[in-house]
Amino acid sequence: MLFKAIYLLPLLPAIGVLINGLLGKRFGDKTVAFVACTSVGLSLILAIGMLYQMIIADPAHRVITSSLYRWISDGSLQINVGFLIDPLAMAMIMVVTFVGFVIHFYSIGYMEGDSGYRRYFVCLNLFIFFMLVLVMGDNLILTFVGWEGVGLCSYLLIGHWYEKKSASDAGRKAFVVNRVGDFGFMLGILLVIVTFQTVNFAELKTILAGNHGISTATLAIISLLLFAGAIGKSAQFPLHVWLPDAMEGPTPVSALIHAATMVNAGVYFMCRIFPFLQQSQFVLPIIALVGMITAVYAACCAVGQKDIKKVLAYSTISQIGYMFMAVGCGIYVAGMFHLVAHGVFKGLLFLGSGAVIHAVKGEQNIANMGGLIKTIPVTAITFLIGLLALAGIFPMAGFFSKDAIIMGGYETYGIVYWLFGFGGAILTALYCGKLFGMAFLGESNFTGHVHKPNFFFKAPLVILAVCAVFLGILGLPMFTKNTYFAQFMGSSFNLGAGGHAAEGHGVSLSLEIAFTLIVSVFAISAIVLALFMYSKHRKKMIDFESRHEGLMMFLFKGFWIDKVYDTIWVRPLKWISNYSNNVCDKKIVDGAVNGTGKIAMEAGKTLARMQSGYVRQYAVSIIFGVFVLVGITVMFFF
Amino acid sequence: MGFYHFLSLGIVLFTIGVVGFVIRNNTMVLLMSVELMLNSVNLIFVAFSRYLYGTEGQIYVLIIMAIAAAEVAVGLAIVISIYRLFGTLDISKIKLLKG
Repeated sequence: MLFKAIYLLPLLPAIGVLINGLLGKRFGDKTVAFVACTSVGLSLILAIGMLYQMIIADPAHRVITSSLYRWISDGSLQINVGFLIDPLAMAMIMVVTFVGFVIHFYSIGYMEGDSGYRRYFVCLNLFIFFMLVLVMGDNLILTFVGWEGVGLCSYLLIGHWYEKKSASDAGRKAFVVNRVGDFGFMLGILLVIVTFQTVNFAELKTILAGNHGISTATLAIISLLLFAGAIGKSAQFPLHVWLPDAMEGPTPVSALIHAATMVNAGVYFMCRIFPFLQQSQFVLPIIALVGMITAVYAACCAVGQKDIKKVLAYSTISQIGYMFMAVGCGIYVAGMFHLVAHGVFKGLLFLGSGAVIHAVKGEQNIANMGGLIKTIPVTAITFLIGLLALAGIFPMAGFFSKDAIIMGGYETYGIVYWLFGFGGAILTALYCGKLFGMAFLGESNFTGHVHKPNFFFKAPLVILAVCAVFLGILGLPMFTKNTYFAQFMGSSFNLGAGGHAAEGHGVSLSLEIAFTLIVSVFAISAIVLALFMYSKHRKKMIDFESRHEGLMMFLFKGFWIDKVYDTIWVRPLKWISNYSNNVCDKKIVDGAVNGTGKIAMEAGKTLARMQSGYVRQYAVSIIFGVFVLVGITVMFFF
Repeated sequence: MGFYHFLSLGIVLFTIGVVGFVIRNNTMVLLMSVELMLNSVNLIFVAFSRYLYGTEGQIYVLIIMAIAAAEVAVGLAIVISIYRLFGTLDISKIKLLKG
């Protein structure tokens, strides 16, 4: 019933884009906001209906496909514009439409009075459209279209305040860094086409489930190339540098694109192509390694940040690192669960930070805040809930999802991975505590009147906070592979018979509980310690930080990786560009072109002297020429 | 009177025409020299036609005569224009094309 209309899901936001984009010139701000929110809201309602139908349906019948039309046809390669919804896509669709709708609603208040109000909402709607295309596309090419589309919207929205140089630079940086990853993505698609003659996910899965005879090396190369795209989009080490800069965009954009949905697309995509990963064994450890490095690295950086949004940005990178750890361990369900939970609580945190920034009139440095819990209690409490979820404190959603990932790492790769996951969790708790302590507790360092958030700010915060608390239910019953979320996912990650049976063995229940308790106890102590130190003894902590300025700067600058890239790539490229401009172009190319002209002019000047104007001379030269020609003819032909 | 006599006469006439064209200054005389060259060629054509027993030479002569008539008409018109423009027919004083 509803499933017949799945193309409506992306169509509705697209209609919103068309109405606002083409006809919206005379609309007032309220009409624009109404159209944008309504289009996404309808999508959300539709998605909830589909979710309901999917839950009541038999787990074997949870895959719906709908092909609109044939798009590209070349020999045996047929590419359709078609949509695919399975539990995996459904989970992602729920995040996109739900968080997307909440953030649309939030933006009504946040962007009030902005000169680019209509442009903002058009881009936001367009983003939802492309994101849904990415999620629902039933083949690699259509997914790639969505993939690039969200990249475009990300660029447009990061640079929303394009008059600010830092904002337009950040947009460009995001775009260029993403190109690096997308290059791998495109090569991967080409290799898939060459190898399989199809790009349809379902067909690829069928081929890979059977006896296909394709070498694991080819599959590994495909996986790694596609993973490169995911690294770029999901801001993983070493292509993470664009995400902290992307915080130049409006805060709701950071919440929607750079926390809840787009940056998670890489994880989603890895889950989508899990048959490839599953059959090329040494790729999974690489993915887990990248995730692990990123998770710990970004958590370290987050500790050293001063800007409220940058803390959250690095935290996002770190949490996505956890998701990739889950993918790398082959526990896709845990990865997707963390994605959903993270989408909700990180969206909440960003919206909260937006409310804070709004309240203190654009101040983003947490050192200049403090004591805000007295003036904006609703924001503070919802923010605290988000931070607790992020730090993985019982009973928030993050507790269940992160625990599953850390345990999964232990089961698959042993104690070293567990230690890294554990370390990342402690660091996460530390910066969460620091952030809340600095911004909301202790004495106020903010001089001036604090803006109270209005209804448009509070409602989304409360909704998301409630979700962040109760989403954990999906992770029940704990310590089993058969959580509610896994039941919903059903057979999404089963690759034929016995493809996935290797999971869930080796670790006794008591050990799991012990490990979980250890992580929880340490995380709680870390967050409490940080809260206490940064609220009551803030002066001491600031002194401590300034005494270790080198280290703090190292963390603040993200291990100077931007500088490294600047030295390795940007400067040589600039030098080469300057060289080609000043030497190759101006001297060689221009020299050749101008030289040709000069030669012609000089030759003309010289030859013009032969023109005496005397008819007699012309006559003589004609006669002489005839003699020469006749002579040559006679010599050669007779 | 043989073939070579006609040939020699044609060559001599042609040479006179060429020399006349080069050394004389009067535009009218130049025109006459051109006519002389044309007709010397006609003479040679006819001579060849006679001694090689062919008619092609005579056909060419007729074509050349027609062209020569047209050429004289155009040439005289140009001569008149030159006189109107420059007030002289002395070719050595007219050198607009000097580069």
